[in-house]
Amino acid sequence: MKRPLVILLAALAIGAVVFAGSYFAGKRACVATMSHRADDLSWLREEFHLNDVEMARIRQLHEGYMPECARMCAMIAAKNAEVQSALGSGTNVTAQAQTKLAELGQLRAQCQANMLRHFIAVSQAMPPEEGRCYLTEMEKITLNSHEQIEQSMFPGHDHGNN
Amino acid sequence: MNPEDTKLSALLRQSRVSPALPPRFQEKVWRRIEDADAPANSASWLDTLAALALRPRFAYAIIAVLMLAGVLLGAQKGVNIAKQDAQARYVALEAPSALR
Repeated sequence: MKRPLVILLAALAIGAVVFAGSYFAGKRACVATMSHRADDLSWLREEFHLNDVEMARIRQLHEGYMPECARMCAMIAAKNAEVQSALGSGTNVTAQAQTKLAELGQLRAQCQANMLRHFIAVSQAMPPEEGRCYLTEMEKITLNSHEQIEQSMFPGHDHGNN
Repeated sequence: MNPEDTKLSALLRQSRVSPALPPRFQEKVWRRIEDADAPANSASWLDTLAALALRPRFAYAIIAVLMLAGVLLGAQKGVNIAKQDAQARYVALEAPSALR
């Protein structure tokens, strides 16, 4: 191979290694720094430009909501275990299993309603525009995922939009 | 010099056949002379680049630029990843996956 070509290929390889090394080092340092100083609510402060007063109010709401959320989650987990037990290893959905499934659905709906109430309360603790953005974002993340699943299961159908 | 030799020389000169010159012979000769006098310009772009890469100042400058670009782009990507992680953490806390 010609010498100039070897020199250029070596230079390109060194350049690629230098760039890739710097890129990954920069990325890792940034993720580590930002994750280290972040608490559970830091995303809200950054994303919606909240001040200390608003954050204090939201933190209070958050701390009030968490025990209730944990209690509901424990109830859902227990009901889920009951559903599994009622289904057993059989191939039929028994009346008891159907009742348990309905109860599980009710619990989930109740929990979702609590969650939405909490999101609304948090959005009201923010400036109006940010509050609207927050609520839209949270509804999109927490509720619309079902729609995506349903649409992917029945691409030809258009449930509930007629 | 012998007068006989002079005569012989003249006879010999007359008998020598001089071949006809190719067309535009003179012009071609001059062009070759000019080309030979001109400075060597045969280095290709590959040679030029290779020579440039071997210059320390140029090499250090390129490495510095690549490092800076890498760190900046990596940091930008890192900020986005950290933001997404923080959002995911918040959502997981407020809306457990069982409800989504």
